[in-house]
Amino acid sequence: MTVSANPMRPYLGRLTEVRQLATGIKFFQVELTEAEGRAAFADYKPGQFAFLSAFGAGEAPFGICSTPRRGPYLEFAVQEIGHVTHTLHNLEVGDPVGVRGPLGNCFPMEQLQGRNIVILGGGIGGAPLRPVIHTILDNRAAYGHMTILWAARSPDLLVFTEEFDDWRADWATELHVTVDQGNEGWSGNVGLITHLLERVSPSTENAVAITCGPPIMIHFVFLTLKKLGFAPEQMLTTLEARMHCGIGKCGRCNLGEKFICTDGPVFWQHEISGFLEGFL
Amino acid sequence: MRIATLSHLKSWLDRLAQQADLVAPRDVDGHVLYRPVSSAAEVLFEYERPELSAKDYLFPATEVLLRVEQEGKEVSIEEVLPQRPQVIFGLRPCDAHGLAAIDALFLNQQPQDRYYQQRRERTTLVGMACPKMWDGCFCVSVGGGPTDRSHLDVLLTPVEGGFAVDTVTPKGAGVLAGLEMTSVEGRPPAVEEYARPVPVASPDQWRARFKHDLWMRHGERCLSCRICTYVCPTCRCFDVTDRVVDVQAGRTRIERIRAWDACTSTNYRRAAGGHNSRPTKPDRIRNRFLCKFCYYPQDFGPLGCVGCGRCVVSCPVDIDITEIMREVAER
Repeated sequence: MTVSANPMRPYLGRLTEVRQLATGIKFFQVELTEAEGRAAFADYKPGQFAFLSAFGAGEAPFGICSTPRRGPYLEFAVQEIGHVTHTLHNLEVGDPVGVRGPLGNCFPMEQLQGRNIVILGGGIGGAPLRPVIHTILDNRAAYGHMTILWAARSPDLLVFTEEFDDWRADWATELHVTVDQGNEGWSGNVGLITHLLERVSPSTENAVAITCGPPIMIHFVFLTLKKLGFAPEQMLTTLEARMHCGIGKCGRCNLGEKFICTDGPVFWQHEISGFLEGFL
Repeated sequence: MRIATLSHLKSWLDRLAQQADLVAPRDVDGHVLYRPVSSAAEVLFEYERPELSAKDYLFPATEVLLRVEQEGKEVSIEEVLPQRPQVIFGLRPCDAHGLAAIDALFLNQQPQDRYYQQRRERTTLVGMACPKMWDGCFCVSVGGGPTDRSHLDVLLTPVEGGFAVDTVTPKGAGVLAGLEMTSVEGRPPAVEEYARPVPVASPDQWRARFKHDLWMRHGERCLSCRICTYVCPTCRCFDVTDRVVDVQAGRTRIERIRAWDACTSTNYRRAAGGHNSRPTKPDRIRNRFLCKFCYYPQDFGPLGCVGCGRCVVSCPVDIDITEIMREVAER
């Protein structure tokens, strides 16, 4: 970052795709329209996040759910939950947005090469895990077996269901889906992701588990993984907070002396357990 | 030492007010506050600790970061970067010390905060030594002092016949151009040190008190009113929001605004979906004090407290930072 750059100024972008991903969750694809923006996002990594601006409403941070390898456009899954996300949900293809980033650290994809990967996504928490899944599928020989556990409170809240066939088609990937509460059309698993995890009971051998979801889910997934024999060095997560800068200044996201935005958002479980202040 | 008489100081300030934005201690309905002034006639030369710090002039309580215009699908963004030179006159050493603490994060940690950096670069700090220490003051305990020159460009000290002028930096020398001074023998008088120094525990001692009933004892009476962060010269949390200024003929004018925030506010840690990892008042005041004495020094260097004592006298329920500091250091 040069001294003259202003990290609070977003790059301009334009929505190239908007579609309903689940109830209350929309998928946004953004084309960056300024050369500086395209340069900044030329090589973003799985796990990094960005601020999306809905001009007039404000900006909020979201995990980037795409990878540069699959295309030049940035993708986000946004749950309608507050003022900014409500305004984003009312935008259409062609509408302008702002993008600030890429921010934060990333999943250590190189370090994970050769390992068996267990992915545990809960609701919208699946979004930042999608680039991990895509990276593994697109570099298949570099990684071991992938076990995906995908969960939501109800069937209509499952995200990226249209990719399930793709994921299942991979020779070394298995996908297990569960919902806390089923409905009439649902014939799949019903129950918490932790129950599914105990039942699937993925081998800890040469494995790393990566989870994202609501804080309470992350907490219990860690406990269940531990019960299955996973060591703290075998568990990764990505945390969120209501940030206002993403560059370690605004103070919003500290966990003790750590900042989710600059020290994270990706943390190993052994890092989190050493933090003075918990995320729960 | 070099001395400027009051009348020379005044005519210099009158000229300065023509060349730069001048901020100085002023009497505002019986309250001493750092305020913009247009002439020396408005400036106080003998005054107590101003009731608010001067951080507002480097890191405004509310500022426009960007002006955005949208017409149909077209958007343009203008960065609103401060350009005017500014002199803060009569700054108390603790308030300069507070700016140095904010510098450690906004200037010394990359990426720099462009807005703060632009203002800081264009601002000259002309300090006024304190003739004594006031209620709640404990600057000497946290690395400052009533005559501390280290974070100023110029330090003035009231002496017989006028003000001793101590030029600290080249920037200070520049701003003094045109001030008539005479050289005399001697030094400015020392200020009596505060009778009751406050012990400062180490970051590790504060860490060790993370789980302790003192937060419940002090925190349960907190009103979450946030006055402590408002008056604090080092508190620098902020939030960012958009405001639609107007819509005319299909053109929407928007301002992106940054405003001070406070970790003691109820919803500070409420995340999307409603989860709040600091739901209670004790959780929040613990964060405020640990930020000042553990997190901030560990992450950025300086303490997040300059001993100005304003939070001590402002708190409506008498939560006293010095009491908590003693408790952590002495138990």
